[in-house]
Amino acid sequence: MSDYVNITIDGSKIKAIEGSSVLDAALEYGICIPALCHMKDVTPIGACRICIVELVKNGKSKITASCTLEAKEGMVILANSAKIKKLRKNIAEMLVAEAPNSKAIQDIALRCGVTTVRYPFRNKDCVLCGKCVRVCDEIWQSKSLGFVGRGSERHVALPFNVRPDFCKHCNNCIDVCPMTITPCPGPMKKGEEALCGLCESQLYMAEEVPDSCVDCHLGESFCIRAKN
Amino acid sequence: MAKIKNNKDLIALSEKNIKENSKYSKTVTICAGTGCCASGCLEVLTELEKELKNKKLTNKIKIRATGCHGFCEQGPLLVIEPNNIFYRHVKPKDVPEIVSSTLENNKIIEALLYIDPATSKKITKETNIPFYKKQERILLNQNKLIDPCNVNDYISINGYSAFVKVLNTNNPENIIEEIKKSGLRGRGGGGFPTGRKWESCRKAEGSPKYIICNADEGDPGAYMDRSVLEGNPHAVIEGMLIGALAIGAEHGYIYVRNEYPLAVKNAKIAIGQAEELGLLGKKIFGTNFSFDIKISRGGGAFVCGESTALMASLEGQVGEPRAKDIHTTERGFHELPTNLNNVETWANVPSIINNGAAWFAKKGTKDSKGTKIFALTGQIQNTGLVEVHMGTSLKKIIYDIGGGPLKGKKIKAVQTGGPSGGCISEKLFDLPVDFEALAEAGSMVGSGGMVVMDESTCMVDVAKYFLTFLVDESCGKCVTCRIGLSRMLEIITDITEGKGTMEQLELLFETAETVSLASLCALGKTAPNPVLSTIKYFREEYEAHINKKECPAKVCKSLITYKIDNKVCTECNACLKACPHGVITVTNGNYIINSDTCTKCGICFDTCKFSAIKVN
Repeated sequence: MSDYVNITIDGSKIKAIEGSSVLDAALEYGICIPALCHMKDVTPIGACRICIVELVKNGKSKITASCTLEAKEGMVILANSAKIKKLRKNIAEMLVAEAPNSKAIQDIALRCGVTTVRYPFRNKDCVLCGKCVRVCDEIWQSKSLGFVGRGSERHVALPFNVRPDFCKHCNNCIDVCPMTITPCPGPMKKGEEALCGLCESQLYMAEEVPDSCVDCHLGESFCIRAKN
Repeated sequence: MAKIKNNKDLIALSEKNIKENSKYSKTVTICAGTGCCASGCLEVLTELEKELKNKKLTNKIKIRATGCHGFCEQGPLLVIEPNNIFYRHVKPKDVPEIVSSTLENNKIIEALLYIDPATSKKITKETNIPFYKKQERILLNQNKLIDPCNVNDYISINGYSAFVKVLNTNNPENIIEEIKKSGLRGRGGGGFPTGRKWESCRKAEGSPKYIICNADEGDPGAYMDRSVLEGNPHAVIEGMLIGALAIGAEHGYIYVRNEYPLAVKNAKIAIGQAEELGLLGKKIFGTNFSFDIKISRGGGAFVCGESTALMASLEGQVGEPRAKDIHTTERGFHELPTNLNNVETWANVPSIINNGAAWFAKKGTKDSKGTKIFALTGQIQNTGLVEVHMGTSLKKIIYDIGGGPLKGKKIKAVQTGGPSGGCISEKLFDLPVDFEALAEAGSMVGSGGMVVMDESTCMVDVAKYFLTFLVDESCGKCVTCRIGLSRMLEIITDITEGKGTMEQLELLFETAETVSLASLCALGKTAPNPVLSTIKYFREEYEAHINKKECPAKVCKSLITYKIDNKVCTECNACLKACPHGVITVTNGNYIINSDTCTKCGICFDTCKFSAIKVN
């Protein structure tokens, strides 16, 4: 039997399993907080910053990532304030400029309301969400992948760039990578990166289906339609 | 060394040391901090030792090689007691004269005296020098009195008496109450109340508890932690002992940068001596209190000064921060309650216990108590370490203690708090230096770096410099800090190259805000401060770069050209010889710089004695 704690997200009172993160608790209830580096059952690292929320305490609000925030009794969370929306949009803009070739990121950018990208596109192959590293380490206990370098030189690599003997060839690292989902119009050519916006129509249909979205005002933080 | 077992032993040892020192008629105190070592104090020291030996004065005159005195500008420094004679810029060749005149015959050597630039008068006594006179030196004064490698020196200035006092009464709540009442706040940057931190760590569940001294000082231009750890390591150890007793911690670490070899060495020696005296170890003085300290050397990452990254590094992991929603006082090093404080914070603890909370709380402002050491550097007369009351105005620090601008220049701004702090405009120099006032002005006290800049500095270039530093030092874990900062650098580089637009300036501002609000750790959260504060106070400089395509301070290379004014030129050929790229040519007696091939290194400008080279 798990114990529960009561938290409030955007005015809705929900029961979260003690020890779970605010993001997990929200997703459980169908409250959509967008996230990129979050994965069920692996340690959150708070890298993508898309899932930021406001934690209100004693009349002061503090911005923090909801994936690394442990739900505590009486917590008051704002997942969709004007401030959060603005920051989230800017972060999504940075991400899509970094890796426009990812459908997952194009999707997030679109839902966060990014209509123009003001940064020059960089067309990178990796945004260092760390899903592959964590799935390899924690689910498969293999540690065949890791982060190397610091700052702008940080990248994911195999030990000494050679596939080690203990790699289990599970290919999970490829499955979880947000860059490997085939982009709708095919890979973008260098210099021709753009916000494609093609998934907008599909997104609209997806949200009509009650199974995948509670389709309430709570979905606002990650719903294209409620924007209007 | 015999072990100390109680208060009596300590007092006896202290008295013995004082008696031993009193047999010397004179003491020569020579600053052997890193700054003075670089200007050659060690050669002076060996020369002095040799000379005293030759003249058989070693039993009359004591030489004490101490930690940093603070007036690094004038090093190597030498102070002769009991007359408090202050010699500066001492060279090995001056030593024989110092010994024969001053030490043997009490004659003062005029040439080595400090000259006050304001009055052009020579000053004999150290205490009369304006730089020292206007400070409130509590911690730094101890540096001058002790040889850091000699625990007896520290004991003879009441060292370890505070620890023995609290160990005898053994009332941890009282210690915490005392620290809380004193109003001591963390000296590392954030300014979190130390007493409250200790209390929450004491109340936290888990065992064993840890104590960490953060000596991973990485701000460009700041070196107060180094000087304290180098010059007075026992005060840090005593502070940690008191903290350990209050919190109930069993193990301590000093996390110090490997780039501070002298600090590592002196701290190691000090820990060894404290262990020998029985002040560190198991069952100290026969009580149930055990505490040990280990030194861990950092690999030089700036981000490891952040508490969670530091703890990860200490655990042997990659030095990356983690979310701090749960404080390290509850779950820190190895997931156990850990109390981390800065070097200066620990060093302040013994004097608070000895002199009482009220003594400490009397100094400073309403919310910021006590004294703080600042590292005054940049384009200013007196660079060095300055210890003043919290709440002293920037004007007093920069003009009265720092001696004001270099010849013929005007001070424009001061950058406080290192790369995480901001630039404060000269118009706000009446501001008191305390945690709140500086934060309100868009900067921070930080660890205490103060870089003074005059009108020859381009503020956009300064922001670019700090951004470049931070892009390199960001761990790269979170998107806002890694991508956001590199985007900001991209935009600011465009601006300094004259390619910027006003839309980009707005984007720069928006990105800076996102980075400061949404980043994972304190490094990212404070990283945009240099940009935000320069935009706030020097927006016109940004606009000049963007709209007029000119750099008002004539620093940004893409926006300036060098020209020779042939009316002023005396045809001395100096620039022609100096130019490393050979771009200066002479046609019909006219000297011309080829602007296509000129790299704008500025060597010709510096070489010309007739100001014939103009910058546009």
